[in-house]
Amino acid sequence: MINIENLIKRVDTSEGELVILKGVSLTVNDAETVAIVGASGSGKSTLLGLMAGLDAASSGEVILGGQRLSELDEEQRAVLRGQLVGFVFQSFQLLPSLTALENVMLPIELKNDPNAREKASLLLDRVGLGERRHHYPNQLSGGEQQRVAIARAFASEAQILFADEPTGNLDSATGAKIIELLFSLNKEYSTTLVLVTHDERLARKCHRTIRLVAGEIVSDETNAETSEDAISAGTAHDD
Amino acid sequence: MRPMQKHLKTRFLRVLHMTTDVQTVDNTAAAARPRVQAQAMTLSTLLRLAVRLLWRDWQGGELRLLFLALIMAVTSVTGIALFTDRLEQALLAESANMLAADRVLSGRDEAPSEWIEEARNRNLSTAETMSFGSMVFSDEGNVLVSAKAVSSEYPLRGKLIVAERAFGAGAPIDGGPAPGEVWVESRVLPALSADIGDILYVGNAQLRVTRVIIQEPDRQQGGMMDNAGPRLMLNTADVPATEVIQVGSRVSYRYLFAGASQDLAEYEQWLDERTNGEFRLRDVRDESAEVADALNKAESFLMLGSLFAVLLAGVAIALTARRYAERHFDYVAILKTLGCTSGQIMSLYMSIQVVLVIVAIIVGSFLGWGIHALILQALQAVISVNLPPAGFTPYIIGSMTAIICLLSFALPPLLALRKTSPLRVLRKDLDDNTLGAKLPYGIGLLGSLVLILWYSQDVLLTSILVLAVFGVVLVLAGISWLLLRSSNSVGMKAGSAWKLAMSATRRRRKQNILQVLVFSLTIMSLLILALLRTDLIRDWQAQLPANTPNHFLMNVTEPQVSGIEAFFRENGVEPNQFFPMMSAGVTRINGETPILRRSDEEEQSNLTERSAGTEQAAEQTESEGEEERPRTVSNRQVTWTNRLPIDNQIVEGQWWGDDAQPGFVSLEDDYAERLGAKIGDVMEFDVGQGRLMEATVQSLRTVRWDNMQPNFFIIFSPGSLEGLGGTYLSTALMEQEQKALINGLLQQFPTIVVIEIDALIEQIQNIIAQVTSAIELIAFLVLACGALVLLACVTATLDERFRENAILRTLGAGRRLILSSLFIEFASIGLIAGVIATVGAETSLYYLQTQVFAQDFNLHYWVWLAGPIIGMVVIATLGVMATRRVVNTSPLTVLRHIG
Repeated sequence: MINIENLIKRVDTSEGELVILKGVSLTVNDAETVAIVGASGSGKSTLLGLMAGLDAASSGEVILGGQRLSELDEEQRAVLRGQLVGFVFQSFQLLPSLTALENVMLPIELKNDPNAREKASLLLDRVGLGERRHHYPNQLSGGEQQRVAIARAFASEAQILFADEPTGNLDSATGAKIIELLFSLNKEYSTTLVLVTHDERLARKCHRTIRLVAGEIVSDETNAETSEDAISAGTAHDD
Repeated sequence: MRPMQKHLKTRFLRVLHMTTDVQTVDNTAAAARPRVQAQAMTLSTLLRLAVRLLWRDWQGGELRLLFLALIMAVTSVTGIALFTDRLEQALLAESANMLAADRVLSGRDEAPSEWIEEARNRNLSTAETMSFGSMVFSDEGNVLVSAKAVSSEYPLRGKLIVAERAFGAGAPIDGGPAPGEVWVESRVLPALSADIGDILYVGNAQLRVTRVIIQEPDRQQGGMMDNAGPRLMLNTADVPATEVIQVGSRVSYRYLFAGASQDLAEYEQWLDERTNGEFRLRDVRDESAEVADALNKAESFLMLGSLFAVLLAGVAIALTARRYAERHFDYVAILKTLGCTSGQIMSLYMSIQVVLVIVAIIVGSFLGWGIHALILQALQAVISVNLPPAGFTPYIIGSMTAIICLLSFALPPLLALRKTSPLRVLRKDLDDNTLGAKLPYGIGLLGSLVLILWYSQDVLLTSILVLAVFGVVLVLAGISWLLLRSSNSVGMKAGSAWKLAMSATRRRRKQNILQVLVFSLTIMSLLILALLRTDLIRDWQAQLPANTPNHFLMNVTEPQVSGIEAFFRENGVEPNQFFPMMSAGVTRINGETPILRRSDEEEQSNLTERSAGTEQAAEQTESEGEEERPRTVSNRQVTWTNRLPIDNQIVEGQWWGDDAQPGFVSLEDDYAERLGAKIGDVMEFDVGQGRLMEATVQSLRTVRWDNMQPNFFIIFSPGSLEGLGGTYLSTALMEQEQKALINGLLQQFPTIVVIEIDALIEQIQNIIAQVTSAIELIAFLVLACGALVLLACVTATLDERFRENAILRTLGAGRRLILSSLFIEFASIGLIAGVIATVGAETSLYYLQTQVFAQDFNLHYWVWLAGPIIGMVVIATLGVMATRRVVNTSPLTVLRHIG
């Protein structure tokens, strides 16, 4: 599903060129859940951004859904994101001017789906916010906002879900609930999940854990406790 | 799975599959890659999203300032355009009353009848008048009158005001006297011991007095000598019966025309082609230099005011749009992660702008109409004519202003939004420089230039304005270069309010330079308008102060002077200076024959010269057909006195004063320049009947020609021309109730001529009062625009100040420290802006006053102190008022709100 070949990202700073990713290569299979872990500044979020087509690499290649991102401009990458990708962010990134329902409707509406309202309502019911669908983000708690964000991510019918520190802004109890919801939906819809996190416990819930240090992959381990799930999920999807 | 969950899941999956056109990706083959092609957002989705965005932004207050700025632009420009449009029509109508027509053709001979016929064929109304001096008799007396025969269509503009008895209250009346009737001014009746209904003898005609003329629209038109004496008006049909007009009689023929501007213009062209430009229709601007001057200056001021309003509204739009755009970075980034393309984002924001501009145009047009109605209401007392309804043009101008302002100022930062990187959802520090691109500013500047040029159609005014703005930008570029050179880290320096403020000023130098630019331009605009307004009004008031004499006394002999002075004193009228007057011509300067270089200023309105009659006629004859050639010098009315006349200023040499010696002369500055005469030159004059005399140039003077006082190009020292004859000229101020004194004066001194210019002065004062009020109101409107810009500019950097100060508060900084630091920071910015604005305003004023408004420029010393202080106080107050919330709100709320 996602192939990364020798990915390099350089940026210019006032102190000269900085190489954030130093030739990263990896493959993420369909329906697989992958955690990317590492210290701050190790290049996790940059890698996530490049994998999701939010940014262009300096060199190397990302193949997303069979499409080489280097061959696409930003416009085409946007279309691809709309078709394939969903996001959950640490800071929720809900549109403050839209209600919970409208936020979830947005990606469905962007596809000109006439049933956007019904689909979004169902998803909000699914994440337990049916009663608060007409609330604006600033009227919701952090956990509730993240649940709306998860509903929005699944509303786009994404095949790949990228999550950047989804529990980073939440207390541990709320975070645990969010993770439960995320993984439950992910399993339900056989979505590929790529997760950036500091949280080792969260990482262990994924099939694989990729560890980044200073822009390089230092380990890529399969988590024993979830490997069975991975195999069954992959098989289910292949079917 | 619980039953409820199961039910939901089933329902959800069912709904997901309701749409059959969902694109799916075949994961097994690269060949089945997703089609990377943007799916157009449907119009309804787009509009729904746009309206929601608009509504929420409105509720959140983010759109309010932008919307307010747009409305302000439409309101001010529509209001000013409506007002100037209607005011100009009113002023022209009021001025047209002074001619009793829109255009006048005048001359000493009758015009060919086909000219008048042609005018009628072109849908123009026509009327004719003939003016001549004549003695009129009653059974008991006689008096020299200024007779005016009018055709039955007279007057075409304005109305005669007549009464049923002498000095009675008048009422307007249509048309003039019918054949067989005469109407006379009040003082004719006591002078003839006659009354309404009596028969008067004009030449061989017997005509019955039926009304008394209280006011006549074009009373002062024509040569001054034609208007010497009280008015007697008769119908042109009675002129042949009077037999007073013979070959060689001095008669002024005036042909009046009125009609649509287009018809008038076409007729003017026809006449011009027919007569090779020899005969020209004249309008009120040609006929009255004083009114033309007031009208021209008022128009320029109104235009300047409008331009500033447009410019300031544009700046306000640019600032608020920029802030709006900055606040939408995250929004766009999220939309992009959801798959929105740049094109869709552009459509979204374009539709928001379209909705915004349409609403702003509707609201602004209504408000603009309301403002102009309010202004007119306020001016009701001084606008004495019925205003024609306004056309659609002002609304179009207002709407175009909003559209062009939005296109040039607001759209660039909003369009820059589409370049926002979606990566911003992960890294907030990205893309802050997207709006820093030079292109949007270039578009904004170009747009405003086009707007100003299109609006003013005045290259000179636009150039001065653009150069002023460019100058301010240049100065600021220099300052910013100096500041940016020292780009070492500044830090917070939170120890004291001063240090904190200074470090904040330097830390935010890019923003602050932009703020100084906006504040400077705003304060500069307001200073220019305020100073120009004061100077214009002061000049106008000085031109015709309340005690301006409204009667000229001419043809006074030397023995009559003391008698007239005594007569005035006995009757409570202050006698003015008597100027001896005679005709003289320059024959040589230092032995050489002088050549007079032509100048437009030679056409200056000069009552003294006009009243001499022959002088002006001679000048006109000379000028016909040879405008470019130097001309020989014609005679001038000259005087001799040891008192420098009112409004004369010596610019070179010395005035002789009471110790005057004969044989010296003082020349008007421009006249001397055109003659090529300098201080110390010996000039030879022909003083009549071939007698020559010499005088040395002792001083050069400036003269205020429009002050309605006796003015002279050439003044001799007393004794120079004594014994050569000549008469005296003086002036007197007689109020309406004193007018009957003229009869007594003329009875006692029958040879003198009294020229009444009270109606003219009243008309000019009335027009000046109108334009003064107009100027005050326009200045006020622009002030309101300026206030909005200042507010918008202060608000533009609020977020960062809020964030910084919230952090400072969490770290324990006190309320007093933060407020003091904010005050000092804004005060410093205001001070710098005030200094730059003052320099810019004075420089612009120099060019505006000398090039556009034909005024003398003097430095306004008090502004050099007041400008910076006003800048400092206003900006500091506004800044602290706008940001003080930061100390009244909990830091957590501020940080959470700003994010």
